[in-house]
Amino acid sequence: MEMIERYIYAVTQRLPEQQRADIKQELQSLIEDMLEERAPAGQASSEDVESVLSELGHPNTLASKYRGYDRYLIGPVVFEPYMTTLKIVLISIAIGLTCIFTIETIFAPIEVLENFVDYIVSLISVGAQGLGVVTIIFALIDYSQRKNAVVNGEKTKGWKPSDLPQIPDRNKQIKLSEPITSIIFTVLFTVICLYSVDLLGVWRSHDGDRSVIPFLNADIFRHYLPIVWGLAALVILKESIRIIIRKRTGKLLSFHIAITVVTTVLVCVMLADPAIWNHDFIQQLEASGILTPGGEGHETVVSIWDGISEWLIMIVGLFALVEIASETYKWYRVKTTA
Amino acid sequence: MPDVNETINGLLNELRRGTIVIGVLSQLYKPQYGYSLVPVLEEKGLSVDPGTLYPLLRRLEKQELLESKWDTNEARPRKYYLLSPFGQEVYTGLCREWRKLIISMEAVMKDSEGGESNGND
Repeated sequence: MEMIERYIYAVTQRLPEQQRADIKQELQSLIEDMLEERAPAGQASSEDVESVLSELGHPNTLASKYRGYDRYLIGPVVFEPYMTTLKIVLISIAIGLTCIFTIETIFAPIEVLENFVDYIVSLISVGAQGLGVVTIIFALIDYSQRKNAVVNGEKTKGWKPSDLPQIPDRNKQIKLSEPITSIIFTVLFTVICLYSVDLLGVWRSHDGDRSVIPFLNADIFRHYLPIVWGLAALVILKESIRIIIRKRTGKLLSFHIAITVVTTVLVCVMLADPAIWNHDFIQQLEASGILTPGGEGHETVVSIWDGISEWLIMIVGLFALVEIASETYKWYRVKTTA
Repeated sequence: MPDVNETINGLLNELRRGTIVIGVLSQLYKPQYGYSLVPVLEEKGLSVDPGTLYPLLRRLEKQELLESKWDTNEARPRKYYLLSPFGQEVYTGLCREWRKLIISMEAVMKDSEGGESNGND
């Protein structure tokens, strides 16, 4: 009898909570009915139970018949772009980490073994995080699409052949290289921020002894890592949607602009915090002999360094403007030629 | 080469799937519980396994073709299903369509008579 309970449990476990009790009761009386047909009440042997349960079939199959639909995280509609994006992200992660490993090995050849272990561990852990981010993004896209499909179900009834979308013109399509490049750079940037922010700086080699004077204060910058993660997720979300739609539409353009504005603002917020910069940068430059106090160019370097936040914010803002303008222009051209 | 009987069985299962709905609806002018339907349908030459029937009954109830009620007076609680007024209307319509279908299929099959009698190649 215990086997019956295990069977019913296995079926109802895979069903929505609110239906479980009812289906459980129904299955229970069904199985008892079926047993009674094989043996007088209360005398069913375990062979009888087994034969009844095999007749009902695998709990998974029965549960899916009750549900009436298949469940999945990433549906067939978005599976292809999901795989594309996932490959790009994982390959970029591998490239980024390999770069870091190579650079670290050049700087400290003695620690090659330790670096190599770190490299392998990072490959696995960062790879898993990348996989997670891409999967979550696509699961959300898939979920919202399925929800829309239910809402728009009525629309498909009044469908007319004239509603068919135009066969995409090569010029109107978003070139796959655009989102791919963007994802690769985003991932590389994120990997560097997360794991080797120290490598961003002035590199010097002195008597075969290589070292870096970092631009950023790694301890403070660490507090901003959640924002870096958020930025990466936003950009990957944006590019994933571009890979899925691949068509320049007004809606996609507004979405693109919105994400660009949000990411730019976030980057500027980080850059504007004076604490993230390496305060001893000038002293370290002087100590290393690259910069001599009072020497040629000293003034220039100091004044650039003092204004670095403003400069970078301006550059980032400019990039965002150029990006928005160029996207808008491309969309406008497509729209007017249509 | 695929097996003839196996292929026929596979296609036949697809054909049967829709007919089971009519079979089930036809028997629910008076309340029945799931397992009591199995022998009734069996007797009329429609075999359906409970693993298909029970989920189907729930689906038809969800589509409001059937109404259900738990009967807890007997030794074993059972869920009885009965055609709803809407279900009766749908069933009548289905029967009408089914008869048309039979006529069309007969005509189609008559045309092909004398041709290949089996699809084996």
